[in-house]
Amino acid sequence: MKLNRVTLLIATAASLVLATTSMAAATGRSPATSGKKIAHIQRGGTIIFDRGADIISLDPTQVSDNESIWADECIFEPLYEATPNGKALIPDMATSYTVSKNHLVWTFNLRQGVKFSNGQEMTSADVKFSINRVAAKASNPWTFINADIKNITTPSKFQVVVTTKTPWSPLQADMALFANGVIPNNLAGEMPAVFWAHPIGTGPFMVKQWIKGNSLDLVKNPHYWQPGKPYLDGVNFVSVPDDNTRLLQLESGSAQIDEFPAWSQVSELQSKPGVTMKLFPSSWTQFLGFNEQIKYFKDVHVRLAISYAIDRAAIVKAVLFGHGTVANSQVTPALWDYNPKSPGVQYNLASAKKQMAMSKYPKGFAVKLLVGSGNQNELTMGQIVQSELLPLGIKVTLQEVNGAQETTLQDGSQFQMSFLYDTTDIIDPDELMTFAAAGGSGAQGTHAEFTNYDNPEVNSLITQAEHVFPQAQRQKLYDQIQLILDQDPPMAYLFYQPFAYAYSNNVHGFDVYPTGNYHFENVWLSK
Amino acid sequence: MLLRYVGRRLLLMVPVALGVTLLVFFSIHMVPGSPAYTFLGPHATRTAVAAFNQEWGLNRPVPVQYWLFLVRLFHGNLGDSLFYQSSVSSLIASRVPVTLTLLVGGAVLSVIIAVPLAAVAAVHSGKLIDQVIRFTSTAGLGMPSFWIGTTLIILLGLVFPLFPVGGYGTGLWGHADSMFLPCLTIAISIAPTLLRSLRTSLIDALGSDYVAFARAKGLSARSVLYKYGFRNAAISAVSVLGINIGFLVGGTVIIENVFALPGLGQLMLTSILDRDFPIVQGITLIFSVIVILVYLFTDVAYALLDPRVRL
Repeated sequence: MKLNRVTLLIATAASLVLATTSMAAATGRSPATSGKKIAHIQRGGTIIFDRGADIISLDPTQVSDNESIWADECIFEPLYEATPNGKALIPDMATSYTVSKNHLVWTFNLRQGVKFSNGQEMTSADVKFSINRVAAKASNPWTFINADIKNITTPSKFQVVVTTKTPWSPLQADMALFANGVIPNNLAGEMPAVFWAHPIGTGPFMVKQWIKGNSLDLVKNPHYWQPGKPYLDGVNFVSVPDDNTRLLQLESGSAQIDEFPAWSQVSELQSKPGVTMKLFPSSWTQFLGFNEQIKYFKDVHVRLAISYAIDRAAIVKAVLFGHGTVANSQVTPALWDYNPKSPGVQYNLASAKKQMAMSKYPKGFAVKLLVGSGNQNELTMGQIVQSELLPLGIKVTLQEVNGAQETTLQDGSQFQMSFLYDTTDIIDPDELMTFAAAGGSGAQGTHAEFTNYDNPEVNSLITQAEHVFPQAQRQKLYDQIQLILDQDPPMAYLFYQPFAYAYSNNVHGFDVYPTGNYHFENVWLSK
Repeated sequence: MLLRYVGRRLLLMVPVALGVTLLVFFSIHMVPGSPAYTFLGPHATRTAVAAFNQEWGLNRPVPVQYWLFLVRLFHGNLGDSLFYQSSVSSLIASRVPVTLTLLVGGAVLSVIIAVPLAAVAAVHSGKLIDQVIRFTSTAGLGMPSFWIGTTLIILLGLVFPLFPVGGYGTGLWGHADSMFLPCLTIAISIAPTLLRSLRTSLIDALGSDYVAFARAKGLSARSVLYKYGFRNAAISAVSVLGINIGFLVGGTVIIENVFALPGLGQLMLTSILDRDFPIVQGITLIFSVIVILVYLFTDVAYALLDPRVRL
């Protein structure tokens, strides 16, 4: 069965329009090229990109930190990729696919004539090898994304057949996961240590040198398949942990892009001449999680009361200096299942008191809130929550622990209340739904993001949505889930946080996708 | 005699360094927080966590893990990082030059700053110039190093663009160029202590009978200052410098952070935060060796300066 040819065409067209408008927007903003058209793209130059930390590994199957993921995405490309707004998929290493009537056998037709950075042609054997590596070990961080894949075969040089265990609707989005990026079969015959020092991919850039802890120097891939691209000679990802130093380097011209300026610096940067300060929509959603192993939180009225009692706008102002949006749903606006009209639970002290009175604990109780020591954002949020829950008779003690311990306590469900957040790695809602809402023996066994929330109705709707194909039908299921989660929330949804980047005005076409990655093949520097 | 002393001290280094690794090994394993969760990220599933711990032997008793660490160590192997897919020794080796340059450069610059100022202050003790030097050094003592660093960057990197704004640079000249401001930052934070102790002991020495005798002999003021003043004053200054460098070894992380330098301090900090045990152990070992060596050099310098000291 030919699936979604029309959808695919529409998506491609839509993304092209979006890409063009975002490009136009970027060029329009910079005085150097205002009024000029994209035809004036200038070639050459290397961008120095200051980021908060260095990458950990160039092997995309072995990383879970964003710095590594986003750098690896400049080197390796998967079968599909997200559109700039993150709402649809467009072909990358594949050009099209078909799926069998029983929805179990997916045949991907590969883009022909694509060469790796070493000049070798990309074929189906490479794709099979690459995808199989992702779940090769149970301890690999991305095994769960490919968990429904039963096997992969290569009937011809440019065809890859993926067979799933169940009819698995997120598969196409799963194929767009960075970890499924294509590398040569058997590492092109190299020893792993040799290969991963200078990995070979089909992406716009390749590794010139990685000075661990300092910088990753990427240069243009001479065999890149998109004609005329990339425009830049290279991108140098430099690790500059200090917020002030990153800003000073941008100001002095020794760097062109500053990743994540401190929220307190954003407003100042917005009015700084020569600098573009941009807040890109992201999938970062901030929550306050309730552990339902604690008896108070088994009571839905308590969870609702707390959720109503929190003034989200005050938190956005105090933590993000106003550069974020109050959350109205558990679903991130970055994904297509987000419903902007969902009311969510908003600040309303009267409703909070009403819910508290309806609960089994109308007089309140004492509870501990886990916060990361030295994590200024969480400490601020903690203090706000602390004071806002007092009118309900809930006495919150802040339990300060260091970062690694916090993660361990969170992931082990050993907390009472804790700040949790989600970002998505694929543009299908399934990853976050199974992770943050599915309880019981949910596919990932994370028990609704470690809150031990378990709503059988939600669980069954999530499973249904994984096996239904038309997106409109899935949307209905996800809408239903969001409605239930509004009335029976596992966490209080606080805010959506953008990705903040400051860059020099001579950088053009720089765009950050909701999954956080950037497409430097579209970026150019004006002299 | 000196050689025997140095030999004995070097041998003593082995149990001391091992003691440090023992303490660090058990304390980092006792600190809550597991590398499996930091490696696997926020979406860590329980199966993946279990598999990770199994693969790296993190589910074995801590004494067994320490024993395995020792066995590897005696084969000259510090193990592999749980995060970076490379050996701990290669990760450390690439960062040692940065931190050593920082320490040595900082020490040299602090001597260059402190010695002449101390001499001027001591010679003109109590006069206006002395007061000015003492006042500025107290101010220097009160400034936190990250602030000094940022100020130097703004002043000498941005306003008067003489030096790069952070980073390690490329090539020998690039490194030297980029290391100057960080070394200066260290120097500014050590120099005041050094200056004050040197000034005090110089004043003492210059007021002593042997200096009065040297002057009476008709030696020039310069000769008196260098041969009688400094030689005697340097003894206490050397120990002050040694102790300060010892403290600095653990404190370089702040300066590495401000100047975006890929040094040992940075690696140590991120590894502690991530619970990358093998790296933490490896760096602690290196740090303890550096500190022991600095103290050894201090003692040797002491003996060379003061023949009365028998090692």
